[in-house]
Amino acid sequence: MYTLIAQISVEDLQREALRLQHDYEFLSYGLIAAWVILAVYVMMMIGRQKKLKREIEGLRAMVEDKHGK
Amino acid sequence: MRDKIVYALGILAAVILAWNIYAISQLPEETAQGVTFKIIFFHVPMWAGAGVTVSLALIASVLFLITKNFFFDALAVATTEVGVAFLTAGLVTGSIWGRQIWGIWWTWDARLTSALLCWILYAGYLMLRRAIEEPTQRATFAAVFNIFAFLDVPIVFFSIKWWRTQHPQPVFWGQGSFPPDWTRHFLWNMLAMVALGMVLTAVRYRQEEVQREIDALRRTAHAI
Repeated sequence: MYTLIAQISVEDLQREALRLQHDYEFLSYGLIAAWVILAVYVMMMIGRQKKLKREIEGLRAMVEDKHGK
Repeated sequence: MRDKIVYALGILAAVILAWNIYAISQLPEETAQGVTFKIIFFHVPMWAGAGVTVSLALIASVLFLITKNFFFDALAVATTEVGVAFLTAGLVTGSIWGRQIWGIWWTWDARLTSALLCWILYAGYLMLRRAIEEPTQRATFAAVFNIFAFLDVPIVFFSIKWWRTQHPQPVFWGQGSFPPDWTRHFLWNMLAMVALGMVLTAVRYRQEEVQREIDALRRTAHAI
């Protein structure tokens, strides 16, 4: 056991730390990308919802106005 | 009431997905790929969500051509648009995963190419709809195009079996397997992502209904 530990150099530990850091970096990129794409789509939907609401209210008012005349 | 159920389901799905980020981070490293492998928990459910939505779009398109009922046309648009969002996320997460494991962002193998073609076809469907003014003609052309676009879906699915690809064989449908606690989180994510897809489809479908009402009001306003 101690012999094995003695064989691990500082460079090995640094390399392993760097690999882990790199792996976590890419895992976080993947998770962030997935959530950002879904969030952007939801925001687009909210934007469209507001636009449709404005449009339908305007048209209803216009039709009622024309009927009134 | 229906709206409340839809939004509650959406929030529940988002909570499960968010909670699973923490749960997944507690799982040990995978032997060959390290922690990067955990992208599978989002990458595959995204593709599952895309698969379910585009399959529903196919059914809706076929039913529209048979019945000429615009309910099916609205359903086809809603499911396809949500499907494109999932396809985008699936392609991007896959590319990030590939960069770390293969050392490249992209390769033109059968799986990746057919998947990109799938995205182009469904994005093309959405663009085609914008290009045609007349509602019945638009719905009919779009339904036919949607059925044509679906021809690529089995090719994406089976490409890793039919050809030698850079993309690996699937974990569940090949020779690989997951430990039980990994499977549990994976299935929860699959379920949550499909539920989220259904919620987004329901919201998008309502928007399509409103759009139709707007078109009808416009025609009335012009006629008066």
